Order: sequence, then structure tokens, then C-alpha cells
Amino acid sequence: MRKAIAWGCLVPMRRSLLGYEASTRKVLEHLGVQTTDIPNETCCAPFWMQSLDLTTSLAMAARNLAKAEAMGMDLLTPCSGCFHSYKRVNHVMENYPEMRERIDEILRSVRLHYEGTVEPRHLVDFLHKDIGPDKLQQKATRDLSGISIGLRYGCHMLKPHELLNIEYSERPIFADELLEQFGVNSVQYGGRHRCCGGLLRGVQDDIADRILHERLVDVNEQGVDGIVTVCSLCHMQHDMGQRGIKRKFGMDDLELPVLHYPQLLALGFGYKPEELGLDLHTMKTDKIVAKIMGGGKR
Amino acid sequence: MEQTDKRGYRGDFPVTDDDVDATFKKEIASLVGGEGLLRCLKCGACSGGCPVGSVIDYRPRKVLGNVLLGLKDEVLSSDQIWMCAACFTCEERCVQQVNFTDVVTVLRNIASREGNAAPGYIKMAEMVRKNGRVSARTGQVDRMREELGLPPLQDPDIETLQRIMTQAGLDAVIAANTKEEKSE
Repeated sequence: MRKAIAWGCLVPMRRSLLGYEASTRKVLEHLGVQTTDIPNETCCAPFWMQSLDLTTSLAMAARNLAKAEAMGMDLLTPCSGCFHSYKRVNHVMENYPEMRERIDEILRSVRLHYEGTVEPRHLVDFLHKDIGPDKLQQKATRDLSGISIGLRYGCHMLKPHELLNIEYSERPIFADELLEQFGVNSVQYGGRHRCCGGLLRGVQDDIADRILHERLVDVNEQGVDGIVTVCSLCHMQHDMGQRGIKRKFGMDDLELPVLHYPQLLALGFGYKPEELGLDLHTMKTDKIVAKIMGGGKR
Repeated sequence: MEQTDKRGYRGDFPVTDDDVDATFKKEIASLVGGEGLLRCLKCGACSGGCPVGSVIDYRPRKVLGNVLLGLKDEVLSSDQIWMCAACFTCEERCVQQVNFTDVVTVLRNIASREGNAAPGYIKMAEMVRKNGRVSARTGQVDRMREELGLPPLQDPDIETLQRIMTQAGLDAVIAANTKEEKSE
């Protein structure tokens, strides 16, 4: 069934995240999933906006949900922040009647209505549950068994699991399972499931740096070919933030490419690196891309 | 150096009756997301998993303790509620379903209305109000999208968004925080 896609603010607008949109589109097209962009999508008002005013944030997010509902589609998003916001709207509307009334009233003033019937889905969960590892394996054309990566699940795709209902966040495996269909070696390591500090960027920059430093030390010790993220903020922290950490903490040998999850899948489906925006990242992806392109076909 | 500012350094000062507002915890517990507060056993599972606590001296349990004790002014005007990275690990691990992250949201909402929001988040909110997204559109991004074969960027429905922000109360929050800045 056709899905309404919410791309979020950052994915279609930031140089290093354009590849997230491009590769998501390629992967979904390759798997025969039909999509429509949410018309004139606006900010989903994620956690930082909830911090300023929860009511406003929920009403803002409900605007995009109302559009998806009017099209009769469930909502799919590659951004964990967006996913979390939309799940939050449904949860609050179900559990707090007074807040539901308030959101209704605000939306009425802009001639919108959201009944609460849209199921928000995260791209990676959708690929795992609705498409499945088997189908991915059948469609794989490029062998990725030569590369090892450090996968980051991030926070807002999984936590808290009562709200998001994908998998218990302490030891998740579903996203690894999909990469394994292409032969990728997804390495287990300390700090794999810990926060990257992304939401403190611009507010408590020193803390954001120190947390990111811990994450980069953790993954760098594994000698992986790169990091793979499923969240816009994780990518911005690890990719755009890496040079700063290198300087601030004197990590001279730090040079880790950071791939978006569907970029790796699209490479496994045989797409060319230049179609996937891999040259737009802050950290050079040349080495991991060369290693992948030098690997065999299957 | 002698520490003269009480905010955020509670350990250095004894609490007196003047510092305590006994109704504070009930006020927080009555708001959306705050209801878990009164279930807190102060076990510290939240502090144990906190990524901020692993790099600086920050303990969610201490914040919860301050709220339960009723240190209203101190909690609402200090940095301690703005240091949470919202990773939800504490919420995931809390056996009492206190939902610290949600309690922090309630506290931040009250602080924001009083003009004590984190300036960085206010700047981002102003950006969203103006552009409909948290980033501004540039010709460079448009060109890169075209080269990558992506469809042209849609214009966000700014008019609707701004009306929602006014109607729901965010404009008032932004005003409360920008006024403060000017008077300083």
C-alpha cells in the first residue's frame, strides 16, 4: 500500500543528508514501494520544540499527520526525530482526552482535522517487518561481505519501547539482520546503543562534544570501515561533528566515513555511489566505497 | 573559588524552609507527562544509564529529588533541566515508570513560559517560524538536489504553521524569552 513520506526538516535540506533522501527513494523504488511526499510538509516539532511547548509541538506534528490521513495513507519517515514526534501525537491523543480536545481546537482554527488513524512508521522498521530480510536478500546484486561497520540504532527510533513499539532498545538486532543479508559484518561494541548527544548541539555544545567523543572512541577501537546511522541527528553528529572532535581531543587517526543506512542497502542493490550522494558527506567515503565497488557480484 | 550562586550547586548549601514549595511536585504531577513523578523511589537507575552523567557531574535522580523536595525556583531557573539529551534511556530502564524525560519536558515548558528557555532552542524555534523548517533554503541545496536527481524542494505551508504556533502558545513562549534577552 502506498505510503505518505515525511522527510523532515534536515534530510532534504542539508548537504550531507541529501544522500539519505536519495538512497531512501532508490531503495523503496527498487522494492516496489509506492510513496507520495506529504504536501507542503512543515517541521514535525521534535523533542527540542516539545521542550518549549508541548501543546504547540503536538499540534504542529498533527498538521502533517492530518495531511497523511486525508490521503488515506500511513506515514513513513527515515528520520527518527520525526518518527518519535508522530508516535507521540497518537499516544497523547489516545491517553489524554483534554489534550486531544485542545489539539482538535487548534487544528480547527486552520481548517484541519486529525482523527488519529495514521500509523507512523520508521523506514528501517518498515523494511524489516513489511518487506523482510528474505526479499532483501533476493534483490541483492552486490556482495558486501568484505566490509565491517559499526551500526548505530540511535535513540529516537527505539526508546522508549512502550511508545515506539519496535523492539526493546537495549539489545536490538533487526537492523543488523537486514545488513547481514548483503554479507555486511555489523560489529558489536560498547556504546553501540548509547546517545550521541545530538540534541544538546547548539544548547550545551561542550557536553555534546564529550558524548560524541565517547561514541567515536568506542567505534574507532573496532577498526571498522565505517559507521552506519538511521537518524538525521546521529549522522550530523558523527559526520559533521567528527573533525571538531578530532581537533578538540587530539584523535589524529580518526577518519571514519558515516553512511546512511539505506545508502548501504542501495549499494547492495547495485546502485552507483554517485546516485546516492556519498560524495556530499563531510567525512570522505572514498575508501569504504572503493572497497565495496572492488568486491564481487553475487 | 567560592561558589555564591546556589543554582545547580545545591550540595554546597543547606535547604531552608524558604527554598521549599511543597505543592510543586503536585503541580508537576498534574500535567501531561508529569504523572510518573510521584512514583519515584530515588533508586538511581536513571543516573546509572545517563550519557550526560558519564561525561559531567549530572544526575537525573538529583533533579527528581530537587523537584520532589519542592525546590521550585532553583529547578526552574537553573541549567539542570536543560542538560538532558533526551535519549530516553532512563525512561526505558525506570522500574517505576517515572519517565524522567517527560517530567523534564513538563519542567522545561514551565521554565520556558517564565522566560528561562535554552536560548539555542528559542533560536531554532524562530527559524522554524520563519522558514517552516529548522534550516533555511539555499540556492546551493536546490542545485545539489537537482544534480542528484531529487525532486524540487516543496515550499512548506508556513501560513498554517504560524497560525498553529500563535494559537497553541509558542509565540508567547518566544516573546517571553526574547524580551528577557533585550532587558539584560
